[in-house]
Amino acid sequence: MARPTRALCLVVASVALVSACGGGGGGGTSGGTTNTGADDDREAQAGGMLTLALAEDPDALDPTLARTLVGREVFVNMCEKLYDVDEKLELVPQLATELPEVTDEGKTVTITLRDDAVFNDGEKMDAAAVKTSLDRHRELEGSARTGDLAAVESVEVVDPTTVVLRLTEAYAPLTAQLADRAGMVMSPKQLQALGDKFGTDPVCVGPFSFVSRTAGSEIVLEKAPDYYDADQVKADGITYRVITDGNVRQANVKSGDVQIAERIAATDVATLEKDPAVKLIGQDSLGYQGISINIGNVKGIGQPVGEVDTPLGRSPELREAFELSLDRETINQVVFAGKNVPGCTPLPPASPFHDEDVECTERDVEKAKSLIEESGEATPVPVKLTIGTSPENLRLGQVIQSQAKEAGFEVEVASTEFASALDASDAGDFEVFQVGWSGRIDPDGNIYNFLHTGAPLNISGTSDPEIDAMLDEARLVEDEQERAALYTQVLEKEAELRPIIYLYHPVNYLATGPDVVGVEYYADGLPRLKTAGLAQ
Amino acid sequence: MASYLLRRVGTSALVLLLASIVVFVGVRALPGDAALALAGEERDPAALEQIREKYGLNDPVPVQYVRYLGNSLQGDLGFSTRTGLDVTDIILERLPVTLELALLSLAVGLLIGIPAGILAALRRGSWVDNASNAFGLLGLSIPNFWLGLVLILLVSVQWGLLPASGYVPFLEDPLGNLQRMLLPAIVLGTGLSAVLMRQMRSAMLETMSADYVRTARSKGLSERSVVLVHALRNSLVTVVTVLGLQLGALISGAVITEQIFVIPGFGKLIVDGVFTRDYPVIQGVALVTVFGYVFVNLLVDLTYSFLNPRIRVSGGAS
Amino acid sequence: MTTAAAPMSQPGPALAVPPPRQRRSRRLVKRFFRRRLSVFGLVVLVLILALALAAPLFGDPGRNDFSAVLQGPSAAHPLGTDDLGRDTLARIAYGARVSMQAGVMATLLAMAVGVPLGLIAGYYRGWADLVISRLTDLLLAFPFLILAVGLAAILGPSLRNVVIALGISALPSFIRVTRGEVLGLREQDYVAGAVADGAGDTRILSRYILPNAISPLLVQATVTIPEAIIGESVLSFLGLGVQPPTPSWGTMLSAAQGFLSQAPLLAVWPGVAIALAALSFNLVGDGLRDTLDPKAER
Repeated sequence: MARPTRALCLVVASVALVSACGGGGGGGTSGGTTNTGADDDREAQAGGMLTLALAEDPDALDPTLARTLVGREVFVNMCEKLYDVDEKLELVPQLATELPEVTDEGKTVTITLRDDAVFNDGEKMDAAAVKTSLDRHRELEGSARTGDLAAVESVEVVDPTTVVLRLTEAYAPLTAQLADRAGMVMSPKQLQALGDKFGTDPVCVGPFSFVSRTAGSEIVLEKAPDYYDADQVKADGITYRVITDGNVRQANVKSGDVQIAERIAATDVATLEKDPAVKLIGQDSLGYQGISINIGNVKGIGQPVGEVDTPLGRSPELREAFELSLDRETINQVVFAGKNVPGCTPLPPASPFHDEDVECTERDVEKAKSLIEESGEATPVPVKLTIGTSPENLRLGQVIQSQAKEAGFEVEVASTEFASALDASDAGDFEVFQVGWSGRIDPDGNIYNFLHTGAPLNISGTSDPEIDAMLDEARLVEDEQERAALYTQVLEKEAELRPIIYLYHPVNYLATGPDVVGVEYYADGLPRLKTAGLAQ
Repeated sequence: MASYLLRRVGTSALVLLLASIVVFVGVRALPGDAALALAGEERDPAALEQIREKYGLNDPVPVQYVRYLGNSLQGDLGFSTRTGLDVTDIILERLPVTLELALLSLAVGLLIGIPAGILAALRRGSWVDNASNAFGLLGLSIPNFWLGLVLILLVSVQWGLLPASGYVPFLEDPLGNLQRMLLPAIVLGTGLSAVLMRQMRSAMLETMSADYVRTARSKGLSERSVVLVHALRNSLVTVVTVLGLQLGALISGAVITEQIFVIPGFGKLIVDGVFTRDYPVIQGVALVTVFGYVFVNLLVDLTYSFLNPRIRVSGGAS
Repeated sequence: MTTAAAPMSQPGPALAVPPPRQRRSRRLVKRFFRRRLSVFGLVVLVLILALALAAPLFGDPGRNDFSAVLQGPSAAHPLGTDDLGRDTLARIAYGARVSMQAGVMATLLAMAVGVPLGLIAGYYRGWADLVISRLTDLLLAFPFLILAVGLAAILGPSLRNVVIALGISALPSFIRVTRGEVLGLREQDYVAGAVADGAGDTRILSRYILPNAISPLLVQATVTIPEAIIGESVLSFLGLGVQPPTPSWGTMLSAAQGFLSQAPLLAVWPGVAIALAALSFNLVGDGLRDTLDPKAER
């Protein structure tokens, strides 16, 4: 495949046909941003419960402590944030009235709040509540938000609808952070009552309010009468049901027991598209999946880097050979029935910062072989690949194993359950780890923590002064073009060094019943059900 | 009798205590820890440290254990590290689910196993006997989880007869509850029915040839009353004691059956707990399970020794 | 997944003197072969063992063809191909090796540790019995699978660790059966006679007690092996089993689960294989029990 076609392909992929770019197999299907659930223009009728099948049990429903993607899927309908994203992933105000006013060389951020928002316990949402929430995010023991808000030095209430954040230095990704859990505002009354057990009965501003939770089973929300935009809300409530098995999630949508099911396996998409009992919504995600190679993590994350004594860890040329041995298209076809988007950067096509000119390395077994020969390494070159335990992980691992073998690598697939793998990777006790990232709106969220020296998710042990300097600078610069240019440079450098070989960007598939309308499903992968309901 | 009772209760308590230590040390031997599994994708060293501090994971294990023991003796099993919910509440929510599943499976097992066993014994060597035998062996040989998958595929997906999975509380929707519990109960119940059938058959054969049954026969009682009154009653006693020991097997089976049918019971709770390193949950669930097992077997032993005093003399239950 | 240890623990065969071995064994073989179902089990078992041994004849289980995935049965692939275009028959054949190894090795491990412990507990009684019996109670208090899942998660996934996890989980039944047997046998006249003749403990245990405890242990083994085979498939199913590309019936089943609607047969083959393997051991075990235990003679 000629190179320009590939670049074009990625563009096309994000709009329509992924499999048109793949090599054979699989019928054409949407794998892009076209379908956000808005194509069905029937009106939703008022009333009725919607049941949504989640693939995992969320963790604590406390915006300060929560750490999972699946938790955000519940929050999105229950806890509004200062800012949100729209379908183009542009930041828009939610509990604020406009985007923040940034002054003082980026060190002062002024936020104006809506004056009609009421918590679901009837209390008024105001600047004091925002301060209480942000301070809790920053200071509560075990908070998962401290990193998001690390740049914030203090939060000041100016008047009931104005809050000022003082930063230690400019921090461009801040607004994006405030469009996630760090920007969720919790009812001070409930915080007072429950303290660090807020997650057992969370109260926020949102279209639905929390009713009950059965751990591992279900979470029930009901329509919030006090919500400022309540007349837009159609359903009486939402039941989130945890169904970990993909087959069972599907079967439940087909039988009508569940109206919406998330994380439909790529391999099931073709079958479900033909099923009249199901509507499918495909949506590019913000994340990526790739292979992290340990190139310097000898004593654990945050410790000084050192020499890793494995063939791939030692030699950038062997890493290049490894990448050359892989065929992203075939991987996508075989493992995911062509339903994901192959890619070689951490920024997915859905991101405004995605660089469409990047050309991914084509598979070239001969070149890979000669690189191995030049390196003087004895063949087959041993590689130990740590990977998850799901059938999909194993399939991916075995395809990688099979492709790399042709170039002269002997890949040992070590399927390891997630917690064990994280333990080993953080301690630097791994060679190659197939791992990904669910993705963040701001590019910083997909790059900084993985490539900056000593950053918390830098399991590969990357430590490159140039990369560090550019990443730091990109945080300070407000201008989007300038930032984009910096990230492009960072990723060029990354592609030479190859601590991470990016493989593909997942496409999220949501299945709904035939009469479900009004579901908003963006690249962040969170089904917004504010206006959802059954068609009239 | 009193001293036997005391000794039996004493050893049960000892087993419980040992089990709690084994579980406590065991969960900490899992690679990775609660903090890491909790932080997952979004982990950073500072946050991990805070979580460990919050849950007291930095203290020496014996210190942690003593604290845990003290709390749990007062009925406080701690809070789930993953969801932040009270472990006691979680257990109280889940226990009825697994108990319901166990009871239904037991019903399935008894309904199939007992009559099949009786018939097989009465018609020894006939096709009924052979069929029951074959069924019993198949029941023991087919893996639960495969049977579950096949049943979901056929009954729910292909024929659309029953909902594929999920759980609704009985009090909310009795019919929906039973519809959803039927397949899992069948899956769990078949294995049990196989065991019961075999037990029942051999117990019947044994009692039928026992002296008192022969006496009853020679007294001219009808075959029907011989079977019903004498043989059956005495066989059931044997089977009931076996049932106690099957509790563990039922819970084992529930682990995977609940996983397949997505039933929020004990088995699923403990497997999820292992994968998410939710120490308090694993500990709580394991303790309750072990307690249930020890307690049931204590009851079985005591009933047994009450019925058959020789057991006490001849060196305890084997 | 059912533990059938209970009925085996009644002490003692009623034989007062060790009978002449040769004639007895010939009679037993004859008795075994009278049972048609057990013979059927034995045949299936031999076939599975042959399949495992002859696995290389069925082709390379790792050779994949990405252009021929999820195919139905054909001349080239009698059982079709899997999600990576590999021959299902070859994988079933190699999977038999893993399952048999897991089943037999785990059982041998449990026997190697459990039988001596049971002998000590039953023969010496006293504090040794107390310690061993409480240990057994402790292990028994954890349901078989929960124990195995926990152990496998601690040890990490590999065939060796699966064997260890299943072996430990199966330990208590062997301790109990052995102990029960010894308790009965040591009261027998010929054992008392040997003691009176001044035979040492080792000699008594190895000459008089162990040989007579073999039958129930053999039967227990035929119960444990199928349990371990199913246990291996469950652990593999949960992602705690053998590592790819080694095929195991459990991992095949777990991979097939993602293609239930497109290729249901893919989930059928390994399931049938597991059931057949377990069934064959159960049948043989049944036959053994009936032939070895005179009380069960019908």
